[in-house]
Amino acid sequence: MSFLAPWFLLGALAVGGPVLFHLIRRSARERVPFSSLLFLRPTPPRATRRHKLEHIVLLVLRCLAVLLLAAGFARPFFRSSKASPPVLGAGRQTLLLLDTSASMRREGLWAKARAVAERYFDRAAPADRVAVMTFDTQARTLISFSDWSAWAPGERGALARQRLAAISPSWGGTQLGAALTTAAERFAEESRRDDVAGIRELTLISDLQEGAKLDGLQGHDWPKGVRVIIERVEPKRRGNAGLEILDASGAGMGNAGGPRVRVVNAHDSGFERLRLAWLPESGSGPVGKAAEIYVPPGQTRTVPAPELPAGTTSGALRLSGDEEEFDNTAYFAAPEVEHISIAYFGSESANDPEHMLYYLQRAFPPATRRQVEVVCPMPNGLFSLATLSHAALAVVPTALAPNESKAVQEWMAGGKTALLVLSNAQSAGTLAALAGTADIDVTEASGEYALLGDIDFTHPIFAPFGEPQFSDFSHIHFWKHRRWAMPENIRGRALAKFDDGSTALAQIPVGKGNLLVLGAGWHPAESQLAVSTKFLPLMQIILDWSGGAAPARSQFQIGEAIPSPGGAGDGLTWRKPNGKVVALGASAAFTDTDLPGIYTATDGSKVRRFAVNVPLDESRTAALSADELARLGVPLTSTVVAAAATSPSAQHQVQLEVLENRQKLWRWAIVGILAIALVEIGLAGWLSRRVSNVRVTP
Amino acid sequence: MRGLGSTKSPLAQESSFADPKALMAIRNLELRARVVVEGFWKGLHRSPYHGFSAEFTEYRQYSPGDDTRYLDWRLYARSDRYYLKRFEDETNLRCHLLVDQSRSMDYGSLSYTKAEYVRTLGATLAWFLHGQGDAVGLLSFDERVRDYLPPRHRHGHLRQLMLALENVDEGGRTSLGEPLRRVAELARKRGLLVLLSDLLTPLADLEPNLARLTAAGHEVVLFQILDPNELAFSFERPMLFQDLESRQDVYLDPPALRSEYQRRLHEHCRQAELVCQKLGASFYRLVTDQPLELALVDFLRARGRRNKLVRRRGPTITAS
Repeated sequence: MSFLAPWFLLGALAVGGPVLFHLIRRSARERVPFSSLLFLRPTPPRATRRHKLEHIVLLVLRCLAVLLLAAGFARPFFRSSKASPPVLGAGRQTLLLLDTSASMRREGLWAKARAVAERYFDRAAPADRVAVMTFDTQARTLISFSDWSAWAPGERGALARQRLAAISPSWGGTQLGAALTTAAERFAEESRRDDVAGIRELTLISDLQEGAKLDGLQGHDWPKGVRVIIERVEPKRRGNAGLEILDASGAGMGNAGGPRVRVVNAHDSGFERLRLAWLPESGSGPVGKAAEIYVPPGQTRTVPAPELPAGTTSGALRLSGDEEEFDNTAYFAAPEVEHISIAYFGSESANDPEHMLYYLQRAFPPATRRQVEVVCPMPNGLFSLATLSHAALAVVPTALAPNESKAVQEWMAGGKTALLVLSNAQSAGTLAALAGTADIDVTEASGEYALLGDIDFTHPIFAPFGEPQFSDFSHIHFWKHRRWAMPENIRGRALAKFDDGSTALAQIPVGKGNLLVLGAGWHPAESQLAVSTKFLPLMQIILDWSGGAAPARSQFQIGEAIPSPGGAGDGLTWRKPNGKVVALGASAAFTDTDLPGIYTATDGSKVRRFAVNVPLDESRTAALSADELARLGVPLTSTVVAAAATSPSAQHQVQLEVLENRQKLWRWAIVGILAIALVEIGLAGWLSRRVSNVRVTP
Repeated sequence: MRGLGSTKSPLAQESSFADPKALMAIRNLELRARVVVEGFWKGLHRSPYHGFSAEFTEYRQYSPGDDTRYLDWRLYARSDRYYLKRFEDETNLRCHLLVDQSRSMDYGSLSYTKAEYVRTLGATLAWFLHGQGDAVGLLSFDERVRDYLPPRHRHGHLRQLMLALENVDEGGRTSLGEPLRRVAELARKRGLLVLLSDLLTPLADLEPNLARLTAAGHEVVLFQILDPNELAFSFERPMLFQDLESRQDVYLDPPALRSEYQRRLHEHCRQAELVCQKLGASFYRLVTDQPLELALVDFLRARGRRNKLVRRRGPTITAS
């Protein structure tokens, strides 16, 4: 048996302790009361003679526990174990995880990080293998182990430097946790695939700033034998402040005060006086009035932004007062008011509460971000296709003429949604025409009234009502409704059914679009739906689901996808801040948000602007303690130890450590100590009781 | 007088006196006293001491200078002569029980403490004397007087005395000087003073204060109450002891100290006994495993000896 830390065996000398204590006459643990010590004088404890050692068994147990404890700390292991240590001479595998987040744009940091990486390239022996991964919001492989192995040993350093020179820090955030776990998994995969043994090191080269995200590290199962080394690169200057323009979804253009700005000052900053001013989209120099704010180090303040220059809806807000430039500009694009029209194929008066239009108009009250207008495509009894083509949703409460039905069906087939209300049995023809099938039989239901019996809460229209507190539709009475059966030749889906089994709301796909069929009207003559609390959310959800609503946000972060704002044409033209133009489909989201700035999406004459910014967490540049990573279970090793492990003797020591770590004999020492402690407690208790029974108990 | 080392008297082993352990199991103090006294009477039904303090009254012819308040006007009406009436209470025994309630009395190696034993002894004596028509008072003390109940013989007084005995608060250290000085001031009339204490305190104050009481004509009976383990000191192993009086912790090795302890305790008790002998007071030692009836025997023996002494001193002093 060998010991990894044999100097701990000196602790076995503590075995003299129990022997000495047993030689000394045991002082009473408890105090014995006595009436008066008037006639007694104190006597100091004295040692008995050697042959008067008391409780030999207890003494042996205690000595054994001390010896086991010393042995456990000395980390014993068997050299002749079948579990072989890593092969001597096998190369070291080093995976460099290089931080390329926005915070690495601070002055001098990137050069230092490259220098560290290059030091590893130079230090690598021919048998060693080096891989490089970079990370910001996601991890990417720059040099794989196989690349390194494929290169000629003499050229490896130069080739690796060449690849490294081609990259630079991005504008993205620091997803450190995800990067570490991804790198560890890649590392494990590479090792499994190549079946090599040796020292495996994951070296993190980063500024390790406070704003780094550590999600996913908690409870991560690290591959065995992998050690993580942190190479922290220090900035030239301490302290940084950053800003973020809050998404003005609640404020909008009508807000006289403009957007609000969150300003964060890092813990290690030595300043607190900052200024905010708008920059023009082209040219330099601030425009408008600057605002001065005070943010103490380590704190965050949310303040109203200075007023936007007149006539502009987007711009760049500049923060001055700190010396790190990379995060001092935030871009803003004011959310635009979305004008949506709903085509209503009815001829009734909008002010008559006996009809459906009255309630439909009131279901979409004017809002700051969305203006919904209910329009009639047949203002004078003549069908207007132009009106329909601009509508986001069509509501058909009456039977349509065949040409109208055809126009609506074609409109739907282009990706739109129409809501057909079966207000009477004559709607059967319209239903069949819109659904694109043969005749469908629609009959007036008999009986007193109907309630909604079966609702499909998994469908997006009813999903928001799925929570128990919202799912009660049983109080909505339908005085009249129509019964119809879904033809077998269409792939429709019943979203809700009346309690008599007939379909209340159904979705029928028509081309790229959808037809929603409602079995009863919502006006008071037919049902209580319009006056119920469910009506407004239901109509809003149907409008959103139909695809008529534009994305609500106009502020994004680097790496986030911008949802398509929609468009009448086939595609959208996206323009990045650097002038690069990308053409995408009308419904495709824009994902190439790698630069901060104003992005534009052009659909013919309509231009939508979106602002993409550096995440605010990148501005929290105070140093993150490596202890935090250790707390999350990252197997850290100091750089000193790692560097020392290059000598043959150190490598041998590392192999012994691995061998000891596999055997973990110290665990058996702990088990032995626990067992001895249990026996000792029981025995000592028994002896104590026996003694107290013998003596007089006052 | 029994020796220091004997904790069991032959009388206790042979008699049918109540076992102290069984007696202490009775929770009611009055009932305990009653059991002891009745058992005692049962054993001593032919006692020669019966009625030693029987009451009597007398009339004395008036002589000039007497207080006219005590003239018996009815007798004057019948006989046309002036007589003074002697009051009943003047003729009865006035007994003060002086009960030590210091912290050292809380020690007990048996199932009860010395304090419980002393309370039962006090209650027994009170019951006994009250049954004879004597006035019994109580003075409990530690280093000062804690409670005082003047001697009376009236309805309900015994009950009040029992309650006072049962009223147990945590005591202080033992000091005999102040309580004895105080009882000398309170007990103006001659009477009997029964001191119940372990006397585990320096005895410097005992002699002068006891002398003051005996000089005032009081009859003094001193019961020293000790625990069997206080005499034997039968602890086997070295350990930390706490002085109940001073709360001081002292590490002691009993086997090494036992003989010296017993010698010093014996000397201390001997000194107390000598003081009593010198001053004509009766001294008895009771160990808490002894039956309480023995205390009554000792008590009556002391009374009998006192009566003989009194009779020998001259006929001018009547009983009590």
